[in-house]
Amino acid sequence: MTAIVRSDGLVKRYDRTLAIAGVDLDVAEGEIFGLVGPNGAGKTTTLRILATLLEPTAGDAEIAGWSVRRNPNEVRRVLGFMPDVFGVYDDMRVWEYLDFFARCYGLPAATRKRIIGDLLELVDLADKRNAYVQGLSRGMQQRLCLAHALVHDPKVLLLDEPASGLDPRARVELRELLRELRTLGKTIVISSHILPELEELCTSVAIVDRGRVLASGRIADIEQRLRVGAVLRARVLAEGEALEAARDWFAGQPDVAASAILPDGTVELGFRGDEAGAAGLLRAAISADIPIASFSRAASDLEELFLQVTGQDDPQPGSEAAA
Amino acid sequence: MTGATLRRRVPRLAMPGITAIGVKELRGRMRGKRAFISVTVYVVLVAGFAWMVGQILVSTAEQQMQWNPGFNSTVQSATIGRGIFTALMFLQTLMILVLAPASTAGTISSEREKQTLDLLAVTPISSVAIVVGKLLSALTWVFVLILASIPVTAIVFVYGGVAPDDVVRGYAMLFVTAIAFGALGTFFSSLLRRSGAATGLTFVAVLIATVGLSFIWVFMYQTSSSVFARRPPEALFYLNPFVAQADVACGTEGNTGSGWCSIINGITGTFVDFGVPVPVGRELIIDGKGAVAVPEGALVAPDGQIVPLPGRGFDDVVVGDIAAPDALASGRDRYWPRSALTLMLLAVGFTTAAVQLVTPTRRWRPRLPGIPRRRRTGRSAE
Repeated sequence: MTAIVRSDGLVKRYDRTLAIAGVDLDVAEGEIFGLVGPNGAGKTTTLRILATLLEPTAGDAEIAGWSVRRNPNEVRRVLGFMPDVFGVYDDMRVWEYLDFFARCYGLPAATRKRIIGDLLELVDLADKRNAYVQGLSRGMQQRLCLAHALVHDPKVLLLDEPASGLDPRARVELRELLRELRTLGKTIVISSHILPELEELCTSVAIVDRGRVLASGRIADIEQRLRVGAVLRARVLAEGEALEAARDWFAGQPDVAASAILPDGTVELGFRGDEAGAAGLLRAAISADIPIASFSRAASDLEELFLQVTGQDDPQPGSEAAA
Repeated sequence: MTGATLRRRVPRLAMPGITAIGVKELRGRMRGKRAFISVTVYVVLVAGFAWMVGQILVSTAEQQMQWNPGFNSTVQSATIGRGIFTALMFLQTLMILVLAPASTAGTISSEREKQTLDLLAVTPISSVAIVVGKLLSALTWVFVLILASIPVTAIVFVYGGVAPDDVVRGYAMLFVTAIAFGALGTFFSSLLRRSGAATGLTFVAVLIATVGLSFIWVFMYQTSSSVFARRPPEALFYLNPFVAQADVACGTEGNTGSGWCSIINGITGTFVDFGVPVPVGRELIIDGKGAVAVPEGALVAPDGQIVPLPGRGFDDVVVGDIAAPDALASGRDRYWPRSALTLMLLAVGFTTAAVQLVTPTRRWRPRLPGIPRRRRTGRSAE
C-alpha cells in the first residue's frame, strides 16, 4: 500500500517554543490512523500543518502526493479537515451551511443539491435540513462539521479530537460513521487523548509526546517492537509475610521492573522480557517453591502501551514544548 | 490513480469564492425583518433631517425676503435646494463613517472568535476571496442604504440650485467613503482577534483620519509665523470626506469665493484673504493684458485689483490691474477627486494588508496582543 499521508521531519517553532520537533508519519491509503498523545504533545499542530493552516518551520508533508508547502491549494482539494474546536455561523440553516462550503469548492448547483442530500443522509441529519445550525446539539454540530469536510469527496480526512465534548451515545454514532467512511475508501487521520476511543477504531497509531513521534505502526507491532514489556499477574497462594517474600523473590529476578501486591493478593509484575522469558520466570518461581495458582499476561491495551512509551524517561531536546 | 492525473494544477478559486462568501453573508444580513427595518429607519432619519433643514432654510429665506423686498425668490429657492443637498451629503457622510466600519470591523475577527475561519481557510478559496467577499457583502448593505436615500435627495430638484451631476458627485463621494472606511474596518478585523478591539481601533482610526489630520492642518496653519507663509499640505484633508463633500457643495455655488468655496479655497492654497480666490501660478486674464501668470504671493482685492505682497514686486503684472471675473473662479472638481483617489488607494492598501493577514501560512506576523509572544528564556526557574 502506498502512503497517502506522509510527513518528513516536521518542525514547528514559535519563537523559542518548539511545538513539534520532527514528526515523521506514514499513513497508508484506507487506514484509520490515530495520533495519540497527552495534551500539548503536538497533535493539533501536526494536523494543522497537514491541513495547510500552519507552515512548518522545517520539514515537509505530502498528502496524496502534494506538498503542503509547495502545493497547499492542491492539498486542500484532497483533504477534509475538522478542527478540535470549531464554531458555527449564526443565521444559517443546515443545508445553507453545507451549500456554502460546497460553493467554496466551486461545485455546480446541481451537484451541490445532490451532495447535500447525500451527506445529510450519511450523518443522519436529513430531518434537520432547515434547522438553524446554532440550534443543533453538540453531537449534531459535530456530525454536521464532519459532513462539511466531506462535501468535496476528499481522499483524506483529518479529524482533531472529533469526540471531545460528546456524550457516550454520540461517540458511538461518530465511531460508526467513521467506520462507514472507511468502507467508502477514505483515509482518516484522527487525533485524541482518549485512548479507548482510538483503540477500537484505529488500524494504526502514532504515539506522540513533547513534539515527537515515540512509536508508530499497528498497535500490536508497536508492542512487539518496543518490547515495552508486559504486565504479568501471578496469583500466589500465600498471605502476609509469605506473600511479601514471594513478591520480593519476583522483584529480584532479571527483567522484572516493578512488582506490587494487589488488594486481592495477586502479585503484579512489570516484565521487560518476551514470552520465553515469562516461561522461564514461571519455571524459576515453581522451582523456588512459590505456590502459584495462576500466572497470566495482562492484556496490554493502548492505554498501557501509551503510558509505558511516554513514561520512558528520556528528556527530549524540545522538552520545553508544551504548547 | 496515477500521479500524473493527480498532478494537475488547480487554480485558486477567486470568483466562486467571492460568490460563496457573498451569498452566505447576504443570506445572514438580509434574513428576516432586519434588512427591511434598517433601510426604513435609515430613510426615515434622512428624510426627517432633510425636512427639518428645509424648514430652517425656508424660514430664513422668508425673513430675508421680508426685510429685503429686492431678494429674488428664485435665488432663495436655489439657496434652499443647495442647503438641503449639502446637509444631506454631510449627514450621510457621517452615517457612512459610522455604518461602514461598524459593518466590516467584525467580519473577519468574528470568524476567528467563532472559530470558523479555519474551516474556511482549508477550502481552496483564496484569502483574496475571503476578504473581498466579506468586504463587498458588508458594503452591499451600506450601498443599499445609500441608494435608498436617493429619492429623498431628489427633493432638492424641487427647489433647484443643484444640478443632477452635483448629485452624482455627492453620491460618488459617499460610495468612495463607504469603500475606504469599510476597507479600514476589514483591515483591523483581520489584524485583531477580537471584534470589540477591532471595532474600537477602527473608530479611533476613523477619528484620526478625519478629525485628527484636519486638526493638525489647522494647528500648522494657525501657528505658522505669517498668514502669507506656505500653507500646510492640503493632503491632510484628503482622508476627511466632509471636506470633499464641502468641495462638491462648493461646485453647486459656482465658486463665488464665499460659502463652502471659501473653506476649500483656504485649504487648497488659493488666497481668499480678500474674499476672491487667485489660483497661484495659474494664468489669469488681466483686463487689457491677456493671459498673465500671476506670481506667487499675488493677492486680488474684492474689486479685482491685483495687489502685491509686502516686500515683493511684480515684473509681469502691474499692480492695479483688474482680473477678469471669470478667471478668478477656479475650476470645479479640483479638490474632491484627489480626496476620492486617495481614499480608494487607501482602500486597496488596507484590503491587500487584510488579505496578507488572513492567509494562514503567511511568512510575516506582526507582534500584537493575542498572537503568541516570545517566551522568556531566563535561567531562573518559575
